[in-house]
Amino acid sequence: MTRSIAALALAAAALAGPARAAYPDRPITMIVPFAAGGPTDVVARIVAEPMGRTLGQQIVVENVAGAGGTTGSTRAAQAAPDGYTIEMGHMGTHGAARAVYPDLKYDPVKDFAPIGLAAGTPIVIVARKDFPAQDLKSFVAYLKANSDKLNEAHAGVGSVSWTTCSYLNSLVGAKPTRVAYRGTGPALNDLVAGHVDYMCDQIVNLVPQIQAKTIKAYAVALPDRSPALPDVPTTKEAGLADFQVTAWNAIFAPKETPPEIVKKLSDALQKALADENTRKRLLDLGADLSNKAATTPDGLRKHVESEVSRWDKVLKGATAGAGAAPPK
Amino acid sequence: MDVETRAAPSHAPAPRRGAVRSPRDLLAGASLVVLSLLALASGSRLEGGTLRAMGPGMLPRAMAWAIGAGGLLLVVFSFLRRGPPLGRWPVRGPVFITLSVVAFALTIRSVGLVLAGPLVVLVSGAAASDVRPKELLVFALLMTAACVGLFRYVLGLPIPILTLPGFTL
Amino acid sequence: MGDLLQHLALGFSVAFTLQNLGLGFLGCLIGTLIGVLPGIGPIATITMLLPITFGIEPTGAIIMLAGIYYGAQYGGSTTAILVNIPGEVTAVVTTLDGHQMAKQGRAGAALGVAAIGSFFAGCVSTLIIAALAVPLTRLALLFGSAEYFALMVAGLAVAVVLARGSILKAILMILAGVFLSTVGTDLETGVERFTFGYAPLADGVDFAVLAMGIFGFAEVLRNLEAMEQREVVSTPIGRVWPTASDLRRSAAPILRGTLVGAVLGILPGNGAVLGPFASYALEKRLAKDPSRFGRGAIEGVAGPESANNAGAQTSFIPLLSLGIPPNAVMALMVGAMTIHGIVPGPLVMTRNPALFWGVIASMWIGNLMLLVINLPLVGAWVKLLAVPYRLMFPAILLFSSIGIYSVNNSAADVLMTAGLALVGWVLSKLDFETAPLLLGFVLGRLMEENLRRALSLARGDPATLLRRPISLGLLAVAAVVLVVAVLPSISRGREQVFAED
Repeated sequence: MTRSIAALALAAAALAGPARAAYPDRPITMIVPFAAGGPTDVVARIVAEPMGRTLGQQIVVENVAGAGGTTGSTRAAQAAPDGYTIEMGHMGTHGAARAVYPDLKYDPVKDFAPIGLAAGTPIVIVARKDFPAQDLKSFVAYLKANSDKLNEAHAGVGSVSWTTCSYLNSLVGAKPTRVAYRGTGPALNDLVAGHVDYMCDQIVNLVPQIQAKTIKAYAVALPDRSPALPDVPTTKEAGLADFQVTAWNAIFAPKETPPEIVKKLSDALQKALADENTRKRLLDLGADLSNKAATTPDGLRKHVESEVSRWDKVLKGATAGAGAAPPK
Repeated sequence: MDVETRAAPSHAPAPRRGAVRSPRDLLAGASLVVLSLLALASGSRLEGGTLRAMGPGMLPRAMAWAIGAGGLLLVVFSFLRRGPPLGRWPVRGPVFITLSVVAFALTIRSVGLVLAGPLVVLVSGAAASDVRPKELLVFALLMTAACVGLFRYVLGLPIPILTLPGFTL
Repeated sequence: MGDLLQHLALGFSVAFTLQNLGLGFLGCLIGTLIGVLPGIGPIATITMLLPITFGIEPTGAIIMLAGIYYGAQYGGSTTAILVNIPGEVTAVVTTLDGHQMAKQGRAGAALGVAAIGSFFAGCVSTLIIAALAVPLTRLALLFGSAEYFALMVAGLAVAVVLARGSILKAILMILAGVFLSTVGTDLETGVERFTFGYAPLADGVDFAVLAMGIFGFAEVLRNLEAMEQREVVSTPIGRVWPTASDLRRSAAPILRGTLVGAVLGILPGNGAVLGPFASYALEKRLAKDPSRFGRGAIEGVAGPESANNAGAQTSFIPLLSLGIPPNAVMALMVGAMTIHGIVPGPLVMTRNPALFWGVIASMWIGNLMLLVINLPLVGAWVKLLAVPYRLMFPAILLFSSIGIYSVNNSAADVLMTAGLALVGWVLSKLDFETAPLLLGFVLGRLMEENLRRALSLARGDPATLLRRPISLGLLAVAAVVLVVAVLPSISRGREQVFAED
């Protein structure tokens, strides 16, 4: 009699609190809202592997690309808050999205439970190799004086290259012709070929070209020089200290995810970021791991809030110009 | 199957009384005109832009105009050139096929391949005039099992096999 | 020359290790499989297999993934010939004559010639990559947006040549395809076009969805109707292998197709897509009896198949020599290499010669493996055609539905396919051909993007298209092709009108 009661009690306990039972007990899905192979995807995969080892369950990356990353983020926001669906969002999907997409179906601050910042990919200002300026100061001067004659390449409205160059253009007061490409690949191709003049893009894509001298790099938008490009000055050194922007990548969970699960995920992330091997792979990409404060859930929340308000301000001016014809 | 009739040019002679010499072309042309008008209407709020900055509306609108013009041309030709009659439009095939694929789409995520697979095979199989129900049922189950093995286990694709509340396979 | 041999020797020594051979074989096998299965393509598969490659060292990983890519080209032709469903964009042209050949009991010949042609093209292209990668890249960089636009226009003109029946209707279908390609979010302004607020359409219609619905499923509907009218659908089982005369007639098209495909494949931005279409048009132009095309002319399979494989190989050139991926699959390769710590770029050739030359050598080996895999399968595929159609087509629908679903894990895509199937049925009832629609769709997007960019860069001056030599030349080709294609039907039509009065 007592045995069957005990058995029943155990069964009830097991069924009653699935979330409190050992989490995780099956693989976790990490949504990457971009196509596989891109910088965010690479960072996600590099980080997912050690995290999965710590948690004892594999983290499977699922690419849900579309609409500048908002399709995947919408799906992540609406997923069940049981810790089995998380997302690797980034500066675009959780920083600038509200400013860029008026019909955004999620709130980057309210609809997510932040886990932590994984890695940032610094932005580099690059130009075609025979652009008539040797350093950032002369580039900025040339840009200001001749912007209507210049062509800036970007990977589509809402992409990192578009958002960050919107910021650059507004800082400098330039109004170039903004030329859209379907992805950074074709944009970079035209830059190398000399068909367009300049671009702002994530370091990962650019390092090999800069090293091969097929394009020119003026500055890295970081407080300190990037080890991947030791010869390229920072924007601070080169005279445009205000241009500090990083395409940060961070992990989010849906908003009602229980705090214990958030803590487990956050601890796994911290451990992964402390792991020498992971750090090396990220740094080899040129990623920036300096923002330690945002690697905790609270730190990330503050970071997201500040980013959202920053991009709201910066892009108020830029979005109005993006949809209309360029100035005559 | 007779290859020739399927690829027949639209000016095969047919005995015709009345002004319309090619009813099929008339319908074809008229539908295109209607569709192009719909396209122009739904795209009317898109900016055309200038040559210097082509707007989102420029190419679609140009295409819609061109298609409309072509449709009109077809309509005109249908009065001038002989062409095939409208022909029979048996709906059994299209209805069953479309329903079967829709059934798949509606059940694949909510129930899984276990139901969606046999559904698509059974419903579409019903479209065949020489359908043999028992054979079809066995085939449906076998094929679904084969697909589960192939897509899920050999290729590792995340196709939902069976979705019960609280548990997904 | 001595250098080249040395490099190739290095490459073969890398590629011939047991592990790399095994990985290459695995890649080719998987590639063939997913090429055959409708809907699923190399992108989804490579994405899925990426994590598995973490444990393997980079060269081996790339060899396997590359095998999947060009293996899929071989496989995609198989479904195109057997069931009129193009597994890849490049297989659309193969359906035109390949499927007709299958209907006439010559599926074996079509499949055989496709495999042989692809193998030849693969070998030649690998040589081209090995010898001419760098100079060819420099050539490709000459292509700016104006040139690409002109190329796309030439491609669309070529699409008119694909028409079997009414030229006017073919042109209308091309225009309709271009129109369809504008559905989705506009790249430059972010505005949504013709999506009616329906989220799955925000990124436009997927090619696989369109091809499957309007092309593949509509074919099923056509066959069903023929069955109902008591016409015999079962195919006569003819000879399994190509005859000597088949091979003789295919030889020159294979050569020409290889050249055309190889050249177009180099152009970043998916130039490879145009290869098969250009080859088909060329063969039709050169043939003594062009009316055979569209009714089972083997040249219409040999040329395009060689072109598509040549293009698949040479599309690695921008990736290997510049580090810039020319299409989505190559972008995945970049990701795969990056994850393994090798960032592709212009210096990979000198910094990582083992990887560079190893991959090139493995491509040649891979083509050989694919020939070995595919040729024996021809017999099996032909026997498959003997399955009674009442069972065949539900199976096709099942595989296709799963395939479409798996592209984006989206049931909405499957729904769209159903709708498009109805559209395709209506189109065929009205004597509209759908191959030109597909081509218009593929080229339309590229054409619009490049036109806007070209005009934007030229500050609104359309004369820029005529001032630049390459684009002028291509536009001239387009004009000539169009005139030559349209002229006969105008005079024929006029005769007809007057004759009846």
